[in-house]
Amino acid sequence: MNKQSVIVALLMSAIAAPVFADDYAAGKEKAATCAACHGPEGNKPITPDVPRLAGQYYEYLVHSLKAYRSGVRENAMMTPMAKPLTDKEIKDVAWYFSKQTGLIHKY
Amino acid sequence: MKLFRLTITCIPLAFAALSAAAWADGDAAAGRQKTWTCEGCHGIADYRTAYPEVYPVPKLGGQSAGYIIKALQDYKSGSRKNTTMGAIAAKLSEQDMADIAAYYAAGAGN
Repeated sequence: MNKQSVIVALLMSAIAAPVFADDYAAGKEKAATCAACHGPEGNKPITPDVPRLAGQYYEYLVHSLKAYRSGVRENAMMTPMAKPLTDKEIKDVAWYFSKQTGLIHKY
Repeated sequence: MKLFRLTITCIPLAFAALSAAAWADGDAAAGRQKTWTCEGCHGIADYRTAYPEVYPVPKLGGQSAGYIIKALQDYKSGSRKNTTMGAIAAKLSEQDMADIAAYYAAGAGN
């Protein structure tokens, strides 16, 4: 890596960092609705049949929401919740939940 | 709006009341003996699915027991579609599902 590419990388990360922060904030705001069932930070589902979301993989959450939105996966609660979401909103919400401490990797 | 929120909250509660009776009591220790197959994918951090769609398989430690049971039942019935999970869930009894769910829901520790 030469000096020039280091500078370019630094500049790019400087630009990208605040964008992630915005995504997190936007996701957090959007996730307020989810808390009604999934609990605060997606960490305390109100009933045992509702999944915990906190700490789940970002890409898995995106995959799930898109499946609900497209109808591939059906659920009386989640289908109407996911239908109006844009790609950006799905990513923001998924990013927010993936950054919470909750689910762990267990084998 | 308040009524809407109340309704939203009540729907899953009603579902839970309906489905609770369908769940067997899970035994986490017995579940541990039934998760060897699961480990092949869920036991590897960042393990990814293959074609046609690539994403990491979900973390299960600390997941709600009822949700795990419901997911396995749906994979078995075919209402939730995933080739790998469908084939695995097809061989599980209701007791197996409850035991596996109890093990993962117990959270931390292996």
